[in-house]
Amino acid sequence: MKQQKEIKHALLFFIIVLCIIIPVSLFAKDRSSTDLTILHVNDMHGHILPYIEKSVDKETPVGGAAYTASMIEAERRKNPGGTLLLAAGDMFQGTPISNIFRGRPVLEIMNYLKFDAMAIGNHEFDWGLGTLENLGSSAAFPFLSANIIDRRGKYLPGVKPFVFLSRKNLKIAVIGITTPETVVTTKPENVKGLVFLEPERILPGLVKDVRSSGADIVILLSHMGLDCDKIIARVPGIDIIVGGHSHTAVFRPVAEGGTTIVQAKCYGLYLGVLHVKVDLRTKKVISYSRKEELRVVYAGPGASFDSSVARLVQKYHDRIKDEFAKTVGKTAVNLVRNSRGESNIGDLVCDAMRESSGARIAFQNSGGMRVNIEKGRITMEQIFTLLPFDNLLVSMDLTGEQIRAILEQSAGMEHGILQVSGIRVILDPEKSRGSRIVEINVGREKLQPDRIYRVVTNDFLAAGGDGYRIFKEGKNIVYGDDLREAMINYLKKHSPVYPQAGGRIIWRLIR
Amino acid sequence: MPKNQEHIVVYVNDLPVEIYRGMHVKHALISCSHELYRAVLEGDLIVKDENGFPVGIEGSLCDGSRLFTVKRENP
Repeated sequence: MKQQKEIKHALLFFIIVLCIIIPVSLFAKDRSSTDLTILHVNDMHGHILPYIEKSVDKETPVGGAAYTASMIEAERRKNPGGTLLLAAGDMFQGTPISNIFRGRPVLEIMNYLKFDAMAIGNHEFDWGLGTLENLGSSAAFPFLSANIIDRRGKYLPGVKPFVFLSRKNLKIAVIGITTPETVVTTKPENVKGLVFLEPERILPGLVKDVRSSGADIVILLSHMGLDCDKIIARVPGIDIIVGGHSHTAVFRPVAEGGTTIVQAKCYGLYLGVLHVKVDLRTKKVISYSRKEELRVVYAGPGASFDSSVARLVQKYHDRIKDEFAKTVGKTAVNLVRNSRGESNIGDLVCDAMRESSGARIAFQNSGGMRVNIEKGRITMEQIFTLLPFDNLLVSMDLTGEQIRAILEQSAGMEHGILQVSGIRVILDPEKSRGSRIVEINVGREKLQPDRIYRVVTNDFLAAGGDGYRIFKEGKNIVYGDDLREAMINYLKKHSPVYPQAGGRIIWRLIR
Repeated sequence: MPKNQEHIVVYVNDLPVEIYRGMHVKHALISCSHELYRAVLEGDLIVKDENGFPVGIEGSLCDGSRLFTVKRENP
């Protein structure tokens, strides 16, 4: 009896101990691994205000720095000490609120949010090296690019190839790379004297260097595009590629060999949130989040926002109204559109294109100019209303024969006539389509079919817009200024303007 | 293809489209068809890459990029 009692007591004691040990072991912290959170954005292009993204929701606004900021802070609270915030380039250029202030609003917000690093994108060169250097020197985080050097082999002033960050006793190397296509896509003077090395050439050595300096994790902050990132992932030793440039919404991180690739589309529509589990013993990545990596930044009613960032955005929003009201030029005559013939506003825009690019001949589609402007002062806002599309100037070599074909197509009026500068064309309206050109003069000379002429147009036409396939056959392509910028610069220099239509495109009955 | 070549060929809904190097998704759409471009601007169609990921119309392209336009799903 006594023995039975003792057995019962021992059993009871054993059960009690088990009831304590099991839960403790279940809830005990896993000390063999740790979690990192990599927050990332790319290609913000100055979108600090919310906007409608029709592909997501035609009514509820998305994006906006104040809303993104709130999400960043919420994620940081979930993993204090284990979160990084990275930007994969093209953060500044793109909207009036950022363009007019040369990226300052975006930089102030990034400083406030304590970004850890930013890769330089191709559009960081749009305002010239001086502005890029100014932005870099005012940034509280490093600008990174390991593959841009000057002719002496030195990195850009203030730009580093990589940076080491420390999180949860892990040493994390973040290397930046910029697309070598910057040379093609940017005004030549903005990249003069710079060499853009192919990343595959320099990365193997650089990764080896950072590893031998003790880096546990290697992140490539890449402004190359997803297709290129998948190739670069073959370089051994890169754990994660945080990408940009192709504006891809990588909803499920792409695994390429041992490398994980992410990208958060563009314009602050998404905040990328990559959770990474790291083995503390081997310091290697064990796993990463495979879904819901991209979180939509909603800006509708009820969405949380950071009030400090909201005040910063509002400050610049208020200033933009003043900037838009400023006079950029004056016209002594009414500027009037005409899609069926030469217009004085078309003459003005084309003259501005020629002056900006140095081309001999300019073409602009009539449909690209959206309003008339009354005589008097011309404001910035009027320029944005006149030219609402984000068009770039594209210069190219075309033969006289190609130019003739373009003008014949223009005379067909399918999408309105092309406005011109640098040429004078006489057309016979009685002739059938395709045979209406009577005479073309470039300056005082007749257009020569085999001669090469330097032509400037906008990127819409250069892509074959409105059916103008011939513009796609150009050679020696150079991308130039933003069309609005060209127009504003021209008006500032030549005001008051008084274009008189009637000398460039002449419809004449030939008897 | 040589890196300094001025043109690239991309594919929109499996149709080859030649555009200048440095042009974006929108230029490929413009070159393909204005109706297609307009439908994307209106949000009736979205553009996806060969991985099925949506891409922005100002996104970069490289030689051989493949784009597909699909009807926008209602949220």
